[in-house]
Amino acid sequence: MERREFIGMAAAGLGALTLGMRGCGSPQAVAPSDWVHLGIIGVGGRGQHMMRMMLRVPGVRIAGLCDVYESRIAEGRKVTGEQTPAYSDYRKLLEARDIDAVMVATPLSLHAEHVIAALDSGRAVYGEKSMGRTLDDCNRIRDAVRRTGKMLQVGLQYTYAPWYTEAQKRIQAGSIGQITQVYSYWHRNSNWRRPLPPGTGAEIERLLNWRLYREWSGGLLAELGSHQISFANTLFGAMPDSAMASGGVDYWKDGREIEDNVHAILRYPGGQTLQASFITTNRLDGAQERIFGTGGSIVLTHTEAIYYQEPWYPNSAVPPEMTIGHRLVTGPTYSAEQPYTGKGETPLKGEASNADLLACREFIDCIRTHRRPVADVDLGWSEAVTVSLCNHALETGRNIKLADFLAGTA
Amino acid sequence: MKLNALSVEAHPARMERVREPIRAHSRPAMGTLFTVYLHAPGEARELEVLQAVFDEIDRVERTFSRFLPSSEIARINREAGQGSIVTDPEVFHLLEYAKDLSGKTEGAFDITIGRLTRAWGFAERKRVIPSSDALEAAEAAVGWRHLQLNAQWRTVEFLKPGMELDLGAIAKGYAVDCVLDLLRSLAVQAMIDAGSSSIAANGDFFSRARPVCVADPASADELLCEVLLGDRALSTSGVKEQSFTRDGRVYSHLLDPASHQREQDSHPLQVLQTTVLAPDSRLADGLSTALFLLGPRRGEAVMEQFPECSVFWACRGDKGDFCASIRWPQTESSTK
Repeated sequence: MERREFIGMAAAGLGALTLGMRGCGSPQAVAPSDWVHLGIIGVGGRGQHMMRMMLRVPGVRIAGLCDVYESRIAEGRKVTGEQTPAYSDYRKLLEARDIDAVMVATPLSLHAEHVIAALDSGRAVYGEKSMGRTLDDCNRIRDAVRRTGKMLQVGLQYTYAPWYTEAQKRIQAGSIGQITQVYSYWHRNSNWRRPLPPGTGAEIERLLNWRLYREWSGGLLAELGSHQISFANTLFGAMPDSAMASGGVDYWKDGREIEDNVHAILRYPGGQTLQASFITTNRLDGAQERIFGTGGSIVLTHTEAIYYQEPWYPNSAVPPEMTIGHRLVTGPTYSAEQPYTGKGETPLKGEASNADLLACREFIDCIRTHRRPVADVDLGWSEAVTVSLCNHALETGRNIKLADFLAGTA
Repeated sequence: MKLNALSVEAHPARMERVREPIRAHSRPAMGTLFTVYLHAPGEARELEVLQAVFDEIDRVERTFSRFLPSSEIARINREAGQGSIVTDPEVFHLLEYAKDLSGKTEGAFDITIGRLTRAWGFAERKRVIPSSDALEAAEAAVGWRHLQLNAQWRTVEFLKPGMELDLGAIAKGYAVDCVLDLLRSLAVQAMIDAGSSSIAANGDFFSRARPVCVADPASADELLCEVLLGDRALSTSGVKEQSFTRDGRVYSHLLDPASHQREQDSHPLQVLQTTVLAPDSRLADGLSTALFLLGPRRGEAVMEQFPECSVFWACRGDKGDFCASIRWPQTESSTK
């Protein structure tokens, strides 16, 4: 790629960043009518993190907390810095008249119940990913959005990350040729368990460690993979035709029900493939998406995008030494298949922002301007149904066709 | 108290002497090595507790590091010079706390020192002396009074152009405080040590029976004193790890916001190290930096505002090495 082209694209990326800054500034400048009072359903680790992000957006106040585990309320109030009204029943929170919008950060199996109830109460909703656990959950959530006309933003925050959007632009502009494969990794070295407070029993254990139990969780594919699967769907402009997956409880044999390693292969209509790998016993590769095109590659992480150009591809210029009148020099075998270990280019490095904060700004801005978010119900449906398709493939050990899955015949 | 030679470094003392089961787990974070000492290894929750501890340290780093572009402090540094911006209560309260500490320490502790620390590049181990122009520009962008905080709206604004925050002198202590809160909620007996400079403990096993040593910097095997933490946190500031010498002059990462390195032209480095005991780790961390820069003479007045704190200075003067202390707990081994 020409240097000039890189600079031009970087400028486009900065434009996107400027857009991402929308909503920053002082809360004094926010008209009283534009203040957004949020109710939070699910005040666990993720819920608390997103509350902090929401409280960095001007004109946002958290007006209600709901959790069935009492300790979470004290933790949530520590985050808000005030005696925020608390509820143990989400229906009571939804009855509160001073709540304008709702954030749902509960276990996956409860997303549909909580999101639909919040939409039906007339509120805009920020719902954590994955949008729903089952196809039926996803369909009911989509119906609720259509029925109520209320806005749902799904917690696919990397949709707003400048380095992701910039990579998508470059890919669409053909900067790395035709995309044929995406390899995604989310590799951790952790048992994914939370420590229990003293004096608590099995019931609290299942509550705090809900991600490990099938009753509540979609496992690694849902909790980690949904971002990457959603990105691949967006990149390829479609949902996969089919998916196969493999995994098991092979290392952390501690009573958990969901797999501690999962590997999935998704085939897309355009002949592209997403290979997704999730492990909990080594974190060398961390979380990344490796996008392979005929002219180059892009590696996306949680903080940056790294660009590589292919050293050779069919349209490259003929090297001078091969032109008529020059000699061809012989030498030791060229290690053409050795992995590339050089540095890539990171044009947006240092400009990266916080994807969670950008997603929160987008949510509040969409409420104020009655705009549809980018990570809307359709994006969430595509992501969550694909995750559900993969989980069905994992559970059955078969290659599942999307058409059969949607028809209920898989 | 007079001592012949000094070299001071605080670290959890003599764990090897302890017969009870203790396990240490370390992980790099915040530019140093965090170590957690757990009592009763092999308890069913050990892995989960460690993961939760290191997750909490990571969370604090992701929020308060000026080096991570996605951190809240990096965002404030990018945006607060263009007008007031709102931040979350946790960040706001720590900024408020830090500004209050600046006032109480005559500005020796100052989180608006970011441009100056960046110019010197100690964190990046640059070991170069910046140009006078670069230093002048950086100095002009420092000043805690120009950090405007509005508690009603939770907003932050830089009133001087080019200001940058650097919470390096308090963030590790704050991380230790957060970890202690977590350990208390889980009723886990543990000691937490941020690169040996910030240390605190939960539970009598460590806090009442396992002393922390202040080591002699002139002799790695020597100790100056031992102290039981009790309910207090300990922090040590010194030049040993991040300093360099040019033409016989020592340049330290502990920069005085008012006069930073220039004072040393007329006064060779006198304070080698300062150790502070305080009710919490963030105060111990911030105060140890301030008292290092202030030295015993100016520090004495400042310490009047902190009756719950103790300080131990290790100094080098014309007539040899000496130490000074205020309210430092006396123990059998507190003198050599």
